[in-house]
Amino acid sequence: MNAPAKVSDRLSATGTANALELRNVSKYFGALAALEDINITVRPGERRAVLGSNGAGKTTLFNCVTGDFLATTGNIRFFGEDISEFPPHERIRRGLRRTYQISLLFTGLSVRDNIYLSCVGVSRRRFSFLRPRRDDALMAAADNLVDVVHLTDDRDTLVSNLSYGQQRQLEIAMALAGAPRFILFDEPAAGLSPTERRELVDILNGLPGHMGYIIIEHDMDVALRVAESVTMMHNGRIFKEGKPAEIEEDPEVQALYLGGDDG
Amino acid sequence: MRRFVDRHPLWSVIIFAVVAVLLWMIFAVWPDWLTDAIGRKKVFLNALFNGITLGGLYFLVASGFTLIFGLMRNVNLAHGSLYLLGGYVGYLTADATGMWLLAFPAAFIVVGAFGVLLQIFVFRRMEGEDLRQTLVTIGISIVMADLMLWAWGGDFYNISPPEWLSGPMQTFFVTSVKRSGELVYMKYPMVRLVIFAASIVVGVGMWLLLNRTRIGMLIRAGVDDRDMLSATGARIQLVFVAVFAFGAGLAGVAGVVGGTFQSVAPGEDVRFLLASLVVVIVGGMGSIPGAALGALLIGLAEQFGSVYFPTYAVVLTFLIMVVVLAFRPQGLMGRN
Amino acid sequence: MALIENTPAAIDAVERRSLFERIPAAYWLVGFVLLVMPTFASPFVLFQIFGWTFILGIIALSLMFLGGYGGMVSLAQMTFAGSAGYMLAIFGPSAITDISMNWPWYIAIPLALALAVLFGTLTGWLAVRTAGIYTIMITLAIAAAFFYFTRQNYTIFNGFSGFNGVLPPKLFGVDWRGSTAFYYLTLFWATLCYFAVLYLSRSPFGLALQGVRDNQRRMSALGYNANAHRVAAYAFAALLAGIGGILLTWQSAQISPGTAGIGPAIDILVIAVIGGLRHPVGAFIGAFIYVILKTFALDALVAVGLSGERFQLLIGLGFLVIVFWSPDGILGLWAKWRDSRGKDPLRDRGGDTP
Repeated sequence: MNAPAKVSDRLSATGTANALELRNVSKYFGALAALEDINITVRPGERRAVLGSNGAGKTTLFNCVTGDFLATTGNIRFFGEDISEFPPHERIRRGLRRTYQISLLFTGLSVRDNIYLSCVGVSRRRFSFLRPRRDDALMAAADNLVDVVHLTDDRDTLVSNLSYGQQRQLEIAMALAGAPRFILFDEPAAGLSPTERRELVDILNGLPGHMGYIIIEHDMDVALRVAESVTMMHNGRIFKEGKPAEIEEDPEVQALYLGGDDG
Repeated sequence: MRRFVDRHPLWSVIIFAVVAVLLWMIFAVWPDWLTDAIGRKKVFLNALFNGITLGGLYFLVASGFTLIFGLMRNVNLAHGSLYLLGGYVGYLTADATGMWLLAFPAAFIVVGAFGVLLQIFVFRRMEGEDLRQTLVTIGISIVMADLMLWAWGGDFYNISPPEWLSGPMQTFFVTSVKRSGELVYMKYPMVRLVIFAASIVVGVGMWLLLNRTRIGMLIRAGVDDRDMLSATGARIQLVFVAVFAFGAGLAGVAGVVGGTFQSVAPGEDVRFLLASLVVVIVGGMGSIPGAALGALLIGLAEQFGSVYFPTYAVVLTFLIMVVVLAFRPQGLMGRN
Repeated sequence: MALIENTPAAIDAVERRSLFERIPAAYWLVGFVLLVMPTFASPFVLFQIFGWTFILGIIALSLMFLGGYGGMVSLAQMTFAGSAGYMLAIFGPSAITDISMNWPWYIAIPLALALAVLFGTLTGWLAVRTAGIYTIMITLAIAAAFFYFTRQNYTIFNGFSGFNGVLPPKLFGVDWRGSTAFYYLTLFWATLCYFAVLYLSRSPFGLALQGVRDNQRRMSALGYNANAHRVAAYAFAALLAGIGGILLTWQSAQISPGTAGIGPAIDILVIAVIGGLRHPVGAFIGAFIYVILKTFALDALVAVGLSGERFQLLIGLGFLVIVFWSPDGILGLWAKWRDSRGKDPLRDRGGDTP
């Protein structure tokens, strides 16, 4: 599988409601507006890139969707369900996932235990007092994810001993645990070498077709290869939406963003 | 105030009604049915006054605790020991010089100086390690309790106020009406009223200091955002020491007050540490007005409890804490 | 890409087999000595020193579980223990026949433990509503409330004097307060609780708890309800403390407000910290040191010309020294020493997540 498959193919697999629907979402920190009146609709299986300079509100947007912060106003629907008031874990259990810009990993645990922990988090075994058995299904699922993000050789390595690029890959694996329906990737390519970026693009394009995502990405090159639509943000507002090609060619966008800053 | 009414109309009505009933109970001559129901007005007024003045004492102890916590995020579990130390120092001073008033500056200076030593030699060395600091303060309180027991034994000491303050004072609150129609006014120990007035002065003074002076602004900035304070330069350590000394000194002064109201004895350290804890949990950590409100509530609860339901007086205090924690975990005046 | 296919089952099998072999002889030796102790130790040593060590160790273990794995330092563990002891005295037999219901042990004990767990759960529910250092203040206040309540209430808790004559049942015809029997009884429960905590630390619940301790936000983003895990940890810790509390009540055959006062509550913290909060074994090391000090400090203090009453001073100073120079307690010192001597499988298994 290379470039994203046709959207229509995936749509049929996942019902009719939109995967993610933000209506008039704003977030204020005191008097400072981090997000103002955001409206976004993402169809199931759609893969979208969010671009914008630092401070445009991209990560705040993610935090509002996952519930790390509550939005000040507006509402958020996830596959038709209003999740605006849900605590983060309730949103995650409904199939939403995210990665963090700065890796938040459990550095004292091995790669596999980190992924196992994320598999358990969305399973019914969260409170299990019993250690995993030899044929534990979740452990097998974790091992499978280790392979998906190409960390097989480092399965039992402590996370603190991983390279930066490997930690980013692990971060992605943790977002893939369970049965995600939609994922928010927060700058997964930041700080990666060209080789690692290629690997990342492979991983993203290798995800099953029904799994939609939003990816925050500065690198146009990566963004255009993994997304089929683009949202431009500027100063907490949505500035432009469209197909990658349209955005790339838009003179306003070029003036504002692509012109000066390419990394 | 206005915003509170707008935001919580129901609560405002309830609070208003409670205050109105209280005021009526304080100023009116009680009808017989009320006396039959809850006893004589004199008992009620005494409990009220005792509660309020005890609240003043609790405020003195807890405001230092909450100030130190607010600025330095240090839960000083040796605060009760500072209180007790202040009590002993005050007793020694008053006993040696015969001057009650001298006990206050003596306790303030000695305990404040002790606070400076604690800040410099203990807390500064463990900055940012909340848990370790708290554990150290527990260790210090164990050691101090035993050293004080060693030095002063298990006896009860009472710091007696001077002549002009001892004895009752006639207030303008009517407790009952004699058959002849003559009004009976309530008598109340002068020293308690004076000390209460003094604690209000201290409270208002602290509030002014925090809200109207540069040092106060610096401290409040530090409470809000410690990084901001460190960005203002090297004086932060000086501010820390000053606040710690002041908070500790207040605890020392409170010890003298407590020794005058009640007595100085082993075990009082734990009692007043717990009182401060409950007061700041109820009022909101780091908030001076919160400490005042919490102290008043706890003082009243304790006194009314001991008069009207003696078995569960102490439990009532903790019940208030549990209810506050359940519905407003950050405390009544605390911020989210 | 992996060239060798290692199934998880195969890895686990390897780990399991080698773990058994990797346990050094010293651990087998400790186990053996503890088992044969009654053949050479005096009744006083068995009942007073070791019995008490195991009991305090279990209660401190409950704090180690909460603090070490959950990051919540509770001062209410002795209170949970005390509440279990009180419930045992109320539902089971005691010399206060007006209050005690004298129900059989198989009802009284589970009921006592269940109520202790309930109490712990409620306390946890309150405590987790605020974070970090507040926990210590809230649990201290709850411990004080329990102490004052039991002291003032005469209808249920029999006030100041509490209950005496709370004896263990004569199960299998054994007098369980006999020194040897009591030694084995406490050893059994201490071992069970110790391995339960050790086992739990690597179960999904234990791992999640440590995850919540290290990074609550991350755990929420993985679908965990952090506070639910914390409350559950309180419940489990209260169960451990309750077991300790029942044994403690049997040992002294009485329970009174002073058993679960503020002093004992702080003693449990001292024990756990002195031993080290990083590993379950720290609780028992701390308890052993505490018991030895408490038992022999009097003679030692008198020998150096001080009054025996200065025990608290000694404990307080010891505690201060430990928190000042080795925040990880005796285990921390031990770990430093071990570092030069290679890995140790029992120390290496839980709670070390930074």
